[in-house]
Amino acid sequence: MTAAMPATLHRLRQAVAKIEGQETDLCSGSPVLALGIRTVDALLQGGLAAASLHDIAPAAVRDVGAAAGFALALAARAAKSGGDTLCIQTDFAAIESGDVYGPGCDLFGLQSSRLLILKVSRPLDALWAMEEALKCRALASVIVELPHDGPLADLTATRRLTLAAREGGSFGFLLRHRPSSFTGSVETRWEVAAAPSRPDQFGGLGRTAFVLSLTKNRHGAAGRWPVVWNHHDRDFSALSFGVAEAAVDRPDRTLYSHAG
Amino acid sequence: MWLKRLSTDRIERCTATPAEKPLIIVEPFKSALRVCALNDAAAALGLRDAMPLADARAMYPALWVENATPQADRELLEAVADWCDGYTPLVGLDPPDGLFLDISGCAHLFGGERALGADILDRLARQGLSAQIGLADTAGCAWAAARYGDRRLVPKGDTRASLMALPLAALRLDGKVLTALAQAGLKRIADVIDRPRAPLTARFGEGFLRRLDQALGHEDESIKPRLPLPSYVAERRFPDPIGRQEDVLGCIEQLAQELGLLLERRGEGARLLQAALFRTDGKVYRLETGTGEPLRDPGRIKRLFIERIATAGDECDPGFGYDTVRLSALVCERLDPVQSGLAGEDNQAELAHLIDRLSARFGSRRLTRLVPNNTHIPEFAVAALPAQAVRGSLAAHALSQESLAQESLAPVRPVRLFSRPEAIEAVAEVPDGPPARFRWRRVVHEVIATEGPERIAMEWWRDADGHALTRDYFRVESKEGVRVWLYREGLYGREMIHRPDWRPQWYVHGLFA
Repeated sequence: MTAAMPATLHRLRQAVAKIEGQETDLCSGSPVLALGIRTVDALLQGGLAAASLHDIAPAAVRDVGAAAGFALALAARAAKSGGDTLCIQTDFAAIESGDVYGPGCDLFGLQSSRLLILKVSRPLDALWAMEEALKCRALASVIVELPHDGPLADLTATRRLTLAAREGGSFGFLLRHRPSSFTGSVETRWEVAAAPSRPDQFGGLGRTAFVLSLTKNRHGAAGRWPVVWNHHDRDFSALSFGVAEAAVDRPDRTLYSHAG
Repeated sequence: MWLKRLSTDRIERCTATPAEKPLIIVEPFKSALRVCALNDAAAALGLRDAMPLADARAMYPALWVENATPQADRELLEAVADWCDGYTPLVGLDPPDGLFLDISGCAHLFGGERALGADILDRLARQGLSAQIGLADTAGCAWAAARYGDRRLVPKGDTRASLMALPLAALRLDGKVLTALAQAGLKRIADVIDRPRAPLTARFGEGFLRRLDQALGHEDESIKPRLPLPSYVAERRFPDPIGRQEDVLGCIEQLAQELGLLLERRGEGARLLQAALFRTDGKVYRLETGTGEPLRDPGRIKRLFIERIATAGDECDPGFGYDTVRLSALVCERLDPVQSGLAGEDNQAELAHLIDRLSARFGSRRLTRLVPNNTHIPEFAVAALPAQAVRGSLAAHALSQESLAQESLAPVRPVRLFSRPEAIEAVAEVPDGPPARFRWRRVVHEVIATEGPERIAMEWWRDADGHALTRDYFRVESKEGVRVWLYREGLYGREMIHRPDWRPQWYVHGLFA
């Protein structure tokens, strides 16, 4: 697929939208959110479509942290051009996967001062709040976190959310705690698994690594890629599975010798 | 205003018995029960206040006797005070059975002072409450007229003359002073009003003359309002009560328009709004909603109350409808008019409105922004403050990132933190070292890479009872790639000397991506 194709398609879509008299936000700002990996972006025809809903679930229960991290990484990329991010969590989801932690978000690439956090008691409230928030133009993205597989976020609910997102032009990320079998009206659906990171030369932890499976894609085929998140540049890159370098004895590090 | 039979009225209202049945209320007094309140029927039988219950029973064995519940009386009094808000915003409580209403400037709305008093009495009587109203220039004189006066309505400038004939008890004095006065042969206010003040003060204390001065208007007495006085109020009364939610909201929007004009004239916007719904049967609902930025746009005010009413749900039951709706701005702030740009809608205003709406719906504490704190303890390093309270400046001084110097490729703090660290079983190769494997939520994880320890000691003021142990944090990656933040609580060596049976306890505190 050539690089010119997404742009052509985009122009055609706008033309169609204009003919249909539909108010479209596609022309203003960045219409897509590129992940920064060419193979993935090509499949998505440029990147994640703005003003739409994206479903993110962990591949297994233990990967909840990774799925939350992937959603956060996407939100961090979406917030690059300004705008706040709203995280909606049900109380139960917060017990299961922990509260959003400010310093961690700062280090992960999303400025915690631009973060709004809403806690609600029922999943229904979370969806309601998400619909309201998606209509707001000032938000870069809205993440809603539902416990279990989020049975309430079914076809009807996701359809409503998609309409709301189209109105506001922001990204909606639906973060479930289990992979769900519901068919939803979502643009893309991801299953995220944690992957062992490539250790640094001292044998410590490497950059955050995921295995992404794109299981639903409106614009093309599905796929599966190991990727690495660079939290300094807020960039994804492909993870090359090489043999990890042998761990070298590492000298005492100043940080830890001071900390004691 | 004096609610003469407050306690007995309360009980009769609940039980729906004919008022002719004599009822007395008793309270314990010096190891015996004595009468503290009675209804008209009981008074007609010759029973009196402060009479021992045994005496009353001896006179009339078939009396209906109830125990005193001051709490319930107080609640009823406050409910009546709430309802009186419909007449004047300035209502003060005078426990146990009185209310002060400052009606200066309000009376003409109800057709004069006399009509206003009659209206209150009439409506209270329909509720089954008997009341007496005294109306005078000073609060003290009104109090006296309500309880002891033969003329309830004291004309302007007639305060002194009307007080003359009343007994000294009308001056709100306590029992001791009254007894002392009676012993001195002083019975009526006329007896003391022209006497030299110095001997009176010496004998009966300062409080006595202050009460006299207050009643005469020589000394100011302010009515302590029960509720904060709003800066701006808009109100609408209905001859026929309204009950439908749409009507109420429509009314609030109209009121918001009036309020908006008032606010605009003064260049202010509301930060805290209250809608008071007066139900026909006297119940008053007060719905408050705060805003993050000063606000005066009627449409947005209405939206806030839509959310507020939606959450109030059943606790806001219209019953037979509301006859008065009042919208007040309790807290205001300067709001300068903004030149509206041609570029279209202002995103920041839209965000502020979204924050207000979500806060109105879920409560302002549920929608938060994270504000960094200057501490090393992970769970205290950020505070979640209500988003409405955080203005730009507060959020600006961000965490000094240098303190978390990046010597690792991976972030050194997790993206998720458990509010309550979860206890795990962990096996470490050496006592002080990182875990080799751990079991968390019934799953065993094999550790392949670790970083740490990062030793975080509790601040000394948290260590007051000697239980706050030092933590050694490890960033750990499992074979499957699950990255968690673990810590071992307590140090081998210095912290376990005093506890020989101590075993190290491991916790999962956070999740990395």
